[in-house]
Amino acid sequence: MAEAILEVRDLHKHYPLTRGVVFKKHVGSVKAVDGVDFDLAAGETLGIVGESGCGKSTVAKMLVNLERPTSGEIRYKGEDISKLSPRALKAVRRNIQMVFQDPYTSLNPRMTVGDIIGEPYEIHPEVAPKGSRRQKVQDLLDVVGLNPEYINRYPHQFSGGQRQRIGIARGLALQPEIIVADEPVSALDVSVQAQVINLMGNLQSEFSLSYVFIAHDLSIVRHISDRVGVMYLGRIVEIGTDAQIYDHPTHPYTQALLSAVPVPDPEARAHRERIILTGDVPSPANIPSGCRFRTRCWKAQERCALEVPLLAVPAVFRLTDSPAKHDSACHFAEEKQVVPPEEGATSPEAPPENGANGPGTPPGNGSDGTEGLNGSNGMTKPESP
Amino acid sequence: MLLEVRDLHVEFHTRDGVAKAVNGVDYSVDAGETLAVLGESGSGKSVTAQAVMGILDIPPGRISQGEILFQGQDLLKLKEEERRKIRGAKMAMVFQDALSSLNPVISVGDQLGEMFQVHKGMSRKDSKAKAVELMDRVRIPAAKERVGQYPHQFSGGMRQRIMIAMALALEPELIIADEPTTALDVTVQAQVMDLLAELQRELNMGLILITHDLGVVADVADKIAVMYAGRIVEQAPVHEIYKAPAHPYTRGLLDSIPRLDQKGQELYAIKGLPPNLLAIPPGCAFNPRCPMAQDVCRTDVPPLYDVTESPVPRSSACHFWKECLHG
Amino acid sequence: MPEQPEPLESYEEGQAIAPTGAGGASDLATAEGETLEKTPGGPLGTGADKKPRSLWSDAWRDLRRNPIFIISSLVILFLVVISIWPQLIASGDPLDCDLSKAQEGSQPGHPFGFNGQGCDVYTRTVYGARTSVTVGVLATLGVAVLGGILGGLAGFFGGAWDGVLSRITDVFFAIPVVLGGLVLLSVVTSSTVWPVIGFMVLLGWPQLSRIARGSVITAKQNDYVQAARALGASNSRMMLRHIAPNAIAPVIVVATIALGTYIALEATLSYLGVGLKPPTVSWGIDISSASQYIRNAPHMLLWPAGALAITVLAFIMLGDAVRDALDPKLR
Repeated sequence: MAEAILEVRDLHKHYPLTRGVVFKKHVGSVKAVDGVDFDLAAGETLGIVGESGCGKSTVAKMLVNLERPTSGEIRYKGEDISKLSPRALKAVRRNIQMVFQDPYTSLNPRMTVGDIIGEPYEIHPEVAPKGSRRQKVQDLLDVVGLNPEYINRYPHQFSGGQRQRIGIARGLALQPEIIVADEPVSALDVSVQAQVINLMGNLQSEFSLSYVFIAHDLSIVRHISDRVGVMYLGRIVEIGTDAQIYDHPTHPYTQALLSAVPVPDPEARAHRERIILTGDVPSPANIPSGCRFRTRCWKAQERCALEVPLLAVPAVFRLTDSPAKHDSACHFAEEKQVVPPEEGATSPEAPPENGANGPGTPPGNGSDGTEGLNGSNGMTKPESP
Repeated sequence: MLLEVRDLHVEFHTRDGVAKAVNGVDYSVDAGETLAVLGESGSGKSVTAQAVMGILDIPPGRISQGEILFQGQDLLKLKEEERRKIRGAKMAMVFQDALSSLNPVISVGDQLGEMFQVHKGMSRKDSKAKAVELMDRVRIPAAKERVGQYPHQFSGGMRQRIMIAMALALEPELIIADEPTTALDVTVQAQVMDLLAELQRELNMGLILITHDLGVVADVADKIAVMYAGRIVEQAPVHEIYKAPAHPYTRGLLDSIPRLDQKGQELYAIKGLPPNLLAIPPGCAFNPRCPMAQDVCRTDVPPLYDVTESPVPRSSACHFWKECLHG
Repeated sequence: MPEQPEPLESYEEGQAIAPTGAGGASDLATAEGETLEKTPGGPLGTGADKKPRSLWSDAWRDLRRNPIFIISSLVILFLVVISIWPQLIASGDPLDCDLSKAQEGSQPGHPFGFNGQGCDVYTRTVYGARTSVTVGVLATLGVAVLGGILGGLAGFFGGAWDGVLSRITDVFFAIPVVLGGLVLLSVVTSSTVWPVIGFMVLLGWPQLSRIARGSVITAKQNDYVQAARALGASNSRMMLRHIAPNAIAPVIVVATIALGTYIALEATLSYLGVGLKPPTVSWGIDISSASQYIRNAPHMLLWPAGALAITVLAFIMLGDAVRDALDPKLR
C-alpha cells in the first residue's frame, strides 16, 4: 500500500456540558469523538460507517478543520494540521476538501453556480489567474457531468443530484489530494445515488484522489471503499479491508450492524441470521466503562466492564494468517459470517469457525439478565422463546 | 378484500399549474397481507396513502377520480363524520418522523390513553392502564414507570414504538406505515420492522408499507407495487419481482444496488431525473430515462398488462414487458 | 476503472425534460416540495426561461404581481415625492396663519379648512408629510444599521459578546417607550427632529438587533457557510458573501414595518408635547392642537390623523408584502 497521506492519532473531541446562565458550571462533557486512529493512504478510499451519533461526522469536520480537536493529531504528510497557524492552515486546506451531505443547504442560494464553484479561486487566487477562472469553472462543470452553459444559473434551478455534482465540483476546484465526503448520497433519490457514486469513482481515478467516505449505507460503502472502519460511540471498533470487515467481521457490533442491514433479496429471508440488538446507543455524555459496546453486547463479561479493549489484531488471530486477521477492539473477538453469500446461496450457514474460539461464549447465551443481551436466532422473528 | 383502491387520481393545484400526483392507481390489500409501495420522492406513494387515510390536504389537493373501497364500502362517498370514525379505529397510520408526530407537552401515557377516551369512552384511569398494556405490547421496557414520561425522554426507536402502539391501540384492520424506519439507525430499524411485522401477523392486519428501500421490502413484503410519476408501473409478488422484474424502472432500481461482484466497477445508474409532475412526459412517463424505449413509448401510455406467470396475479405497465421479463 | 467520466448521461438530464419542461419549472419543484412529498428539486426550467433567476429576482417578480405591494408602494412613492417637493401640490405656506379664520371649515382654495391658529389645514397636512417621512426614514436607517450590525456580529461570533449584548437588549426591552420618551425628551429644548430620531434609535435598535442576530445564527448553520470556511474563507468573506445576503430578508421586513410605527410614535410623542415642537410642522402637533376642538371643528383632526393612518398602514402593508415575497417557506 502506498504511504499514508493522512494519519489520525488518538483524536478526541469533547464538548463541555455546562449548567447555569451567568455562572457556567462544568457538569461533564459529551465525548463525540473519543480516541480515533487511522491512516489514509494516497489514492485509497477509506469508508467510515456507524450509526447516528457515533461521531463520524465530527471526525469529518475535524479532518477539514471545521472543528478543532480537543486532543490528538491529524497529520497531513507528517505535519499536524490541527495546530497550524491560520496562514499555514489556509495553504493546507487547499489539499483537503469536503463534500457535504445535504445538497440543499450546502450551496448558497444567492450565488450563481459559477460564483459557487469559482469561489475557491477567489479565496486562493494563486491557484488560477483571474482571466482563466471562468474557463476553469466551465471545465469543472463538464468534469462533473453538468452542462457548462449552466454557469449562470442559481442552485434552486437544479435537482438534488445535480446540486450534489455542483458541490463536488466546488470540492475539486483547488485540485485537492483528499476529499472528505460526509454522507454524500444519503439525501438523494435511489435512482440518482448510483450516478453520483459512479461520478466519485471516476473522479478518483482521473485526479488520483484519496477519499474519506462517511456513510451509514453499508452496501454503498463497501462498493466504493478499499478499507472500512466501523465506529461506535466515538471510537473505531473495527477496521480492515472491505473483505475483512464484510466477510470476516470479528467485532460483535460489526456483526450486528451487518446482519441488520436489509438485504434486497426475498429468498434470503428464510436462512438469514439476524442479530437483533436490544436497547439503544448509550449517551456520549455517559459512556460505559471498559468496552463501550458491552451494554448491548450478547458476549459481555466482567472483563468487558473493567478493561478497555484496544484496537489491534486480537490475540487469537495474531499468529494465524486467517482472513479475519485485522484490527478489532474486542476482548472476545471471533469470526462470524453474517452476510449471506450472494448468488444462489448454496451454503446457508457455515461460518468458518476459526479454531481459536478462546473465551468467547456462544452467541445467544446471554450473560446474567442485564440488558443488552439477545441472541441471534435463526429466523427473522426477533423473540422466539 | 380489505382495501381496494381503484383508478385513483389526485391532483394538486399550485400557482404554476396542476401537478398530477396520482394518475390512476389500483392496488389492494387483504387481511394479514403486506403490500409494499415502492417509489422515489414524488412518485405519489405517500399521496395515495394520504387519500386512503383521508388526511390529504384539500385544497390544494383534489381527488378527481377513483374509488377507495374499504371492506366493500367506498370511503370517498362517506361523510367526514363517518370517515373520522373509521380513522384510528379501523385504519391507522405510522409516520416517518415520530418526534413531530407526538405532542411534546403531553405525556406518552396520556396520548396513548386519549385514543381510548375518545373512541371508547373509557375513564382516565382505565385508559392509563390500557396505555401501559400497549407499551408492554410494543416492548418498551419498564412501561409502568415510563408511562408518565414525555416524548423527548424516549430515544428515536422507542418513539417509533410509541407511534406503533398508538396505531395499534384500537386494533385496526389496516395499518399504513409511511417510511416507518427511514429516520432510524440500521440496528434499531431492524427491531422496529420486526415488531411491526410480528404484530401484524398476530392481529391479522393488512399492512401497507410505503418505502424507497428495496432491502426493507424484500424483508417483509408479500407483494410490491412500484410507483413512478403517480402510476403503478409494476405489481407483483415479492419473490418474483426480485428474480425477474417486468418493468425497466424496477429493473433499473434493482440493478443500481451495489453488488459484490461489481466492486471497482461502475454501478448501473438510471440516467436522468424523476419527472416533473407538472409536465409528465407524454406516452410512458419513464420513456426519457428508459434504455428500452421505442417510438411507441413516446406516444402511447402503456396499460397495465397482465403478466401473470404464477397463481398470484402480476402486472406491468410496459409495452415491452415480455422483453424486460425474459431479456 | 473507466477513465472518462460520462458527462453525456447528465446532459440528458436537462435535455430530456427540455421539450416538456415549461418555463418556471424550478418554482414548481419547490411548490411540489411543500404540497406533495418532499421532492428534491425538479428539472431545470428550460425553454422560454433562458435567463437565470436569482431568489431576489423571483421575489421581485412576486412583488410586482401583488396588488397590496403596488398600492402601498404607490402611496409611499407619493408621500416621498410630496415630502421632497411639497410645493407641487400645496402653494401656500404652512406657517402663514390668519387668526381671524381660526376653526373655519372648507372654502374655496382651502379645501380642508383652517385650524385653531387659522393656518391652512391642507398645506399643513402636506408639509407634515416631510417631517413624518424624515423622522421615519432616518430613525429606521439608524435602527437598522446599529441594530443590524450589533446583532449580526453577536450572532456570528457568539460567546461572551453575544451574552452581553443579549442582556443589554433585554434591559432596553424593559423600558416602556412612551414613558421613556416623556422622561428623556422632556429635558430636550431643541426644536429640530434630531432628538426625536436619536431617541427612537436608542430604544429601537434592540428590536432589530434581536432579529438580525437570530437570522444570522440560522444562516450561519447552513452548510454553505461551513463549505466556505473549509475553503479557507476569511470571517469577513463569510459574513458579507454568505451570511449577510441570506440573513437580511427578515431585517428588511421588520425595518419596513417599524418605519410605519416610528411615524406613529413621532406623532404620539408630539401629541404628548415631548416630541417635535412648533414651528416644526408635524401631524402629531396638529393632532394634538386639534384635539381640544374635536367637538366643534372635527375637520382639524380628521385630515392630519387620516394622513397619518394611511402612511403607517402603507408601510406596514409594504412590509407584509415583502415578507410574503421573501419568505423561504413559501418559496
